[in-house]
Parts: sequence; C-alpha cells; structure tokens
Amino acid sequence: MILKLVIILFFSMLFVGGDRGLTSFFTLVRTAIAFTVNVYLIAWGLPAVLVTLVVSAFLIASVIYGQNGWNPKMHGAAVSAAIVVIVIMVIIGPILNVAGISGYNEIEQYEEISMYLSANISVSMSEVAVAATVLGVLGAVMDTAVAVSTAVNEVYVNNPMLDRKILVESGMAVGRDILGTTVNTLLFAGFGESIMLANLFLKSENSFYEIINSKALFQEISALFVAVMGCLLVIPLSSYVTPWFIERGKSNR
Amino acid sequence: MESAKKKIIMVIMLVAGVLAVSFVYNDAFLYDTTIGRVISVENSYSHDEEGTNGEIEHYYDQLLTIKILNGDHKGNIIDIRNTYTSSGVNDERYRKGTQLLIALNKAGDGGSVLEKKRDVYVALFFFAFAFLLVFVSGRHGSIVLISFTINMALLVLSLKVYDTYGNLLRVTMVVMLAFSILTLLFAGGLSKKTFVAILSTLVTVFLCYGIYMLTMKTSERIPYEMMDYMVNSKDLADLFLAGTLMGGLGAVMDVCISIAASVSEVVNKTQDITVKALVTSIREMGYDIMGTMINVLFFTYLSGTIPILVLKIKNGYTLYHLVKFQLFFEMICFLIGAIGIVFAIPVSGFLSALFLGNLRGHNKAITADNKGEGAGK
Repeated sequence: MILKLVIILFFSMLFVGGDRGLTSFFTLVRTAIAFTVNVYLIAWGLPAVLVTLVVSAFLIASVIYGQNGWNPKMHGAAVSAAIVVIVIMVIIGPILNVAGISGYNEIEQYEEISMYLSANISVSMSEVAVAATVLGVLGAVMDTAVAVSTAVNEVYVNNPMLDRKILVESGMAVGRDILGTTVNTLLFAGFGESIMLANLFLKSENSFYEIINSKALFQEISALFVAVMGCLLVIPLSSYVTPWFIERGKSNR
Repeated sequence: MESAKKKIIMVIMLVAGVLAVSFVYNDAFLYDTTIGRVISVENSYSHDEEGTNGEIEHYYDQLLTIKILNGDHKGNIIDIRNTYTSSGVNDERYRKGTQLLIALNKAGDGGSVLEKKRDVYVALFFFAFAFLLVFVSGRHGSIVLISFTINMALLVLSLKVYDTYGNLLRVTMVVMLAFSILTLLFAGGLSKKTFVAILSTLVTVFLCYGIYMLTMKTSERIPYEMMDYMVNSKDLADLFLAGTLMGGLGAVMDVCISIAASVSEVVNKTQDITVKALVTSIREMGYDIMGTMINVLFFTYLSGTIPILVLKIKNGYTLYHLVKFQLFFEMICFLIGAIGIVFAIPVSGFLSALFLGNLRGHNKAITADNKGEGAGK
C-alpha cells in the first residue's frame, strides 16, 4: 500500500508540477534518506543532539537551496532557519527534559512492545527526544523562512531604493499572512496523529488531572506548540536577516 | 497610537500569563491526589546491565526526600526510593524542586511516585505560544488563536459524540465539514473566495478518501493491531481513516485558500485575463507551494517516531520491519496528506477559475453579481 501511494504521489507531482514537481519529489527522497541516516547514527551511539544538528544543516541546505537555488535571499532563509534550530536546542530542549517527555509514556509502558524490547540501549532518550522535537519543527520553520525571504526579496527587486525598515515590515506582513495557515497545517496534522490517544483518554476512566499531567499528552502537545513557536520565531528573524544578505549580495557585485 | 495599544495588550497578556502559570505551579490544593515537592536527592550508582549488543547500561538508585504539599498529611516529609538508568527508556530521573504526584500509603509516611506534575508546563507552553502569536502577528494572531482553540474543542466534542452514539465515519464527515467551514471562514472572511476554498477542500478530501479506499482494498490488510494507543475498539479501521483524512485536512485547506486568494487577486488586478494565462499562473503558484508543504508534513509526521525507531534498531529490528510495521501508519498518513496537497492545486485552481475568474469581458456585471452572492453565503 505504501508503494502504491508513493507511485501515485510521484505521478501526481510530475503531472501537476512538471520538472519542478520532479525536483520536489527528489528533494523529498533526499529528506527521507537523511532522516533514516539520522536515526541510524543515533542508534549507533553517536550523540543524538550533535548528529541532529549536522543532519539539520544538511536538510536546510538540501531543501532550501535544492528547491529555490543558491542566492542571497535563500541565504537569509537558511541562516534564520538554522538559528531557530539552535535556539530550540538550547532553550526549549532543557525545558522539555525538566518536564520529562522522553522514554515510554504511561500508556506505552503497559503495551506489549515494552515487555520484550530491551531497555538497556545506552542511548540517552532525553537527547533523542530533543532531536525528534527539532526535526519535527524543521519542516514548518523552513517553509515559513522561505516564504518570508522570498517576499522580502520581491519587494526589494520591485523597489531597490526602499528603506531597510520597510523591507523588514513587509517580511513581517507576509509572515503574518501565512502564519494562520501554517498553524492550521500543524494543528490538523497533530489531530491526525493524536486521534487514537484522544479517543483512548476519552474512553478510559482517567480523571482530568491524570490526563493533564500525563507524559503521553505532553509529548503530543509539546511537538505542536514548539513547532508553532519555531515558526513565530523565524518570521521576525528572516525579516531582519534577509535584507542584510540582499544588500551584501548587491555590494559584492 | 496603534503600537501603544499593542504594547498595553502585550503587557496585560504577559502579566496574565505569569499569574496563570504561577497559579498552576501552586495548584496542589486542587488535587485529590497527593502532591509532593522533592526537597533533596541522593543519587548512588547501583549496577551495570548488558544490552542485546553488549552496550553497558548504568543503573542508579536515588533516595528522594519529599515534602507533601496538600491533603491530610500536608507538611509531612517522606522518603521514596527510585531507580533510573542512563538511557531512561522506561524510568524517570527526578531532580530537586520537581513536583510529583504520589500514591501515599495509609499512614502517610511512605508511598510511590505516580507521575511528574506536568500541568505547569502545559500552561507555560500554552501561554508562551499565545504570547508569541499575538506579539508577532497582533490582531491576526488572536484570530488564529481563537480558531485554534475552537478546532481543539471541536475535536474533543466530536470524539465525545462518537463515544456516545458510535458511527465514527458519520461523525468524522460532519466534523470535517465543520472544521473546513469554520477554519476557512476565520482565515478568509465571508467572501466568495472562502466559499471556493471550502468547496475545493471538500472535493480534495473526497478524492483522498477515494484513493485511500482504492489502494487499501487492492493491498494486503493493514496491520491495525500494530497501532499505538489502542483501546479494545472494533472501529480501528475507521479511526485510522479518520485520523489520516483529518491530518491532511489542514494542509489541503492551506493550499486551497492560498490558490483561491491568489486567483481572486490576479483576476481583480488583470480584468480581462485569458484562460491560458490564468492556468499558467495557477501552475506557477502550485510549484511554489507543493514542495515545501509536503516537507512540512513529512517532518511533522515522522519525527515523532524517532525514539521508538532508535529503540527498535537497538533491539535488532531491520529497516524492512520498521517500514512495514512501525512506520506504516505514519507513512500512510503522510502520503495521503501529500497526495492531498498535490491534488488540491488543480482542484482549487479549476474551481477558482470557474467561480472567481470573470473570463472574457462583461466583468463588471459578474463582479457585482459575485459580491451579492458572496454576502449571501
């Protein structure tokens, strides 16, 4: 079934997007490979956060430059996405660990799988949780960063005499516009993922207090909230950073 | 003027957020369950165990001294022992200052840890999220916040209805209709382009449903018993279908509203645009949207599986097994969502051109007509 769907996806991308659809498809393949490599490197015992940092850098380059070309406006997008990744690792990571999102949650603990998998893996699950969160944010952050940088560049190309401040303001305006839809994309993807859990909570006899304090719930909502916060951070960042790169690119020429 | 007002709102939000979070931090008196704060921790190394590939796993004991914060034994100080490991797959390391939910014994002098008290972090994240949203995008952000909250409530409500009356598929259909109408009304306002976006969302979701059914019926049975968080439910197949379609809904709506808005923009600016030019510009928009949106879905769905993947690889599972059983559900969700994104481009392009494109002359009359219709909807 997976293979059939992949084939349908491939042909529909080719049909709707032509050459660029094909480019997007191969970017997706690269992303999937990088993702797999990342997981295996962690499993081989390399430090999870460090590996993810390197793979994120590769993914940012692959997705942003691979789909949109090597140019100053994309430098702006790439740099701001990278900054957000680091900020999440440094600031949100420790909060997540204090709150405890790693390892089995209380429901998985009683599922069959946890009985026969050895837990002696000598890989720090709290690092893995941070790695997973960062990768979860990455897609949405790159999307937003590219949109904002493209818009700033568009305004600049149409009127190069404009003040830096106006460029920044136009980046923020576009960011605001796409924010709503990005939040919806993330929200509904979250719904799709957590519908089983939500159903379980509703069917079980758990009290509100048990649910609100559970690790299972926190794992789901922290992924969503951190992703949205990443997008919110990247909007001002790329609005400020992109004009700088565009102006620098111009003065070099 | 405007910015002064925004500043005041931000300060109010910040103060409200800090107050709310500190209230939740100190809300032990609301609980029936015993709450305690760890006031000191003594860690000691216990022993090593060997994993399946010869990894060395360190085990530690900790002696937690805990002060009870509520109930009949409030103020008591108890000791609880806990074990944690260097990986922390199946255990938890507690630190000084952590608040815990505790199962206290009858005498009130001992017990065991039930759970970390995480409500304060839920509150913290929610307020940080709300604050940033309004800080970055002002009034627009608060609309997003409202629509976000309503959708959240709608999901819970629909699952409650399903729990009472059964028939998940019918509930899902109704709630997806409600999601689309509400969300797109919030995003696009009461206008003809919103109507077009809603219509194209529904058509696209229906197509996704068709593709899902077609591929499912012609492939081997889906291993539903491998799903996470099963309750002994006979509706597993329907639940998974509902989750898959709902997961892609946000992305599909995103594409539809973007295209509908752009088409109405193009048509307004270039009054007598030809069909061909319109198709070209819709394709152009499609290219831009498609790649990045599909990437967003990929990361959102698959990153959550990393911990269990690492654990399974460590336990000797092959990539084949992982894709076939562990990643199966996330992959299907992702692929249906991605196909939805791609399909949404021609669908919404066609419908936008049909309803919004005042093609070939007599523009003015139709524009006026459109406005009347849009307001009626």
